[in-house]
Amino acid sequence: MKNLRLTSLFADGNVRARSTVDVGGVIVGNRPIMIAGPCGVESEKQTLTAAVAVKEAGADMLRGGAFKPRTSPYAFQGLGVRGLKILEKAKQETGLPVVTEVIDPRDVSWVAEFADLLQVGARNMQNFSLLRELGRVKRPVLLKRGMYSTIEEWLNCAEYILSEGNKDVILCERGIRTFETYTRNTLDISAVAAAKELTHLPIIVDPTHGTGRPSLIQPMSLAALAAGADGLIVEVHPNPEKALSDGDQALTPAQFSQYMQLLNRFTGAVSGWK
Amino acid sequence: MKLQRIREAIDKTDRELVSLLAKRMELGLRTRPYKKNTVDTSREKAVLERANQARLGLLEEQFVTDTFMAIMAESKRIQNMDLSLVAFQGDHGAYSEIASRNLVPHKAAYIPCTRFSDVFSGVMDGGFDIGIVPVENSLEGAVTQVNNLLTQTELKVVGETVVPIHHCLLVRPGTDHREIKAVYSHPQALGQCSGFLERNGLEPRPYYDTAGAAKMLIEEDITAAAIASPLCAEIYGLEILKEHIEDDASNQTRFLMLSKTPYDKEDGDKCSLVFATTHEAGKLFEVLQVFAEAKVNLTRIASMPHRQDKGNYNFFLDFEGNENDPKIRSVIEAVRSHSKNLNFLGCYPSISGK
Repeated sequence: MKNLRLTSLFADGNVRARSTVDVGGVIVGNRPIMIAGPCGVESEKQTLTAAVAVKEAGADMLRGGAFKPRTSPYAFQGLGVRGLKILEKAKQETGLPVVTEVIDPRDVSWVAEFADLLQVGARNMQNFSLLRELGRVKRPVLLKRGMYSTIEEWLNCAEYILSEGNKDVILCERGIRTFETYTRNTLDISAVAAAKELTHLPIIVDPTHGTGRPSLIQPMSLAALAAGADGLIVEVHPNPEKALSDGDQALTPAQFSQYMQLLNRFTGAVSGWK
Repeated sequence: MKLQRIREAIDKTDRELVSLLAKRMELGLRTRPYKKNTVDTSREKAVLERANQARLGLLEEQFVTDTFMAIMAESKRIQNMDLSLVAFQGDHGAYSEIASRNLVPHKAAYIPCTRFSDVFSGVMDGGFDIGIVPVENSLEGAVTQVNNLLTQTELKVVGETVVPIHHCLLVRPGTDHREIKAVYSHPQALGQCSGFLERNGLEPRPYYDTAGAAKMLIEEDITAAAIASPLCAEIYGLEILKEHIEDDASNQTRFLMLSKTPYDKEDGDKCSLVFATTHEAGKLFEVLQVFAEAKVNLTRIASMPHRQDKGNYNFFLDFEGNENDPKIRSVIEAVRSHSKNLNFLGCYPSISGK
């Protein structure tokens, strides 16, 4: 690969030290971290309830979408800056750094004022003007893999951000389109090991979108960690049946708490999960 | 769509009406110190006549009379409420008003003044009971106009407060952040938020006052933003798009409370004075030596050019202690003998002592 800033080896063949990324005080790249929260910020109450619940269960960061890229233009599009204000409040209440998606280059600086980690969704992975803009802000970026993208295409997108001067990029595998229909996507666990082989960047896994089935979140999380993932990002909604987006794949706070307990027991043997 | 647009205009007019009514009550209250009785029948008659002369369009005489009778009844009720008139410089929502609300939280009406000198002279002539003025900002230093007025005033300092300056980006409710190009505020506030403005590609537009900029947004109906206090959002019905946009969160301003009568209570634990010295070697040192020898802790020393005596300076000192303490009394007398034009500004409870 010709991606100079991304590769795990220097030009002379020496191994480059693995990067860590500081997200509002949480270091990604040392021990596995957990990012959890609702798909979309729907209201202050819903977001604060979810934030407190995931914090209590042991999550390291809060996720929540204020700008939503939806398949249909008539679906809930997110609360915009009002949603960012709610996330900021949830951060003040719980102390959890906030992860949120940005979908428009014009919003990048604004979202960076509120959030600790700026997410590029799968649908925007190759939005190059968005990537360039993200390369110019002083905030870490979470780059999801596009659902139709090869690993190389994905890593080239990370290089876009790095080449503009932002060295804090975290990769995220979230499943790709295959002919399989039982799962929403096919979670490509091999991408975790491949990204570690090819790059020095941390990589996390999204088993929620990767499978689309709550029952599969737990086993695929364990598989991801066994493959060397630096963390997980999962959706938790206080009331999944009433969620305005992706309710059918979110965990309830009680399920999330159980899931965290199991991960803690299991991963003690695999890695330094806290 | 048409109905909605007309209703928006109605909402705006209603907001203006309410704000004018509030101003009318404030002005009524300000007449109180200058008259013996709140009831003045000849004046009321004149008000009704004038209102009916100005009557136009669909307004009937009876409606105008009833409305103004109601306004005057409410004005008299407010005048009899025994509110302290607290004057500050700036428009409603200014950081000085936040300081005023901190220092006189109850039974008070907060009256905006155009100039600092209006606050000083208003309290002096009895038009206001209390004046609140900023004396020093942690980033910008002394507020020179106020400090200059303090050198000559006969008013007494009766209290102090420190207000953290947390700037907000305010917009008219519903404004899309992508449409904002220009941001209006006092040049100092724009400077204190320059990092935020640069990061988001916003153009700073200087305005005479932070609260004035917030007021202008709502009155002029323009798509822009203002930098002002959270209180302004409340007062003018604006939306806070982003809180804490200042580059340095430690930014704070110290305010003094001024009155004609001294504080004169036992819990006064801080004194302020201002003096000048003659142009002789060691004069300032002699003054400071008095404090050192008496072991009195100084909390502020500031100098500013003496406007009447070119080349000379006024020195502001704040120190710990109560003026009725014999030790402090002798310190003040010693300072008087070593300096010239000493103005003892007052003894009051310090904010840290609370």
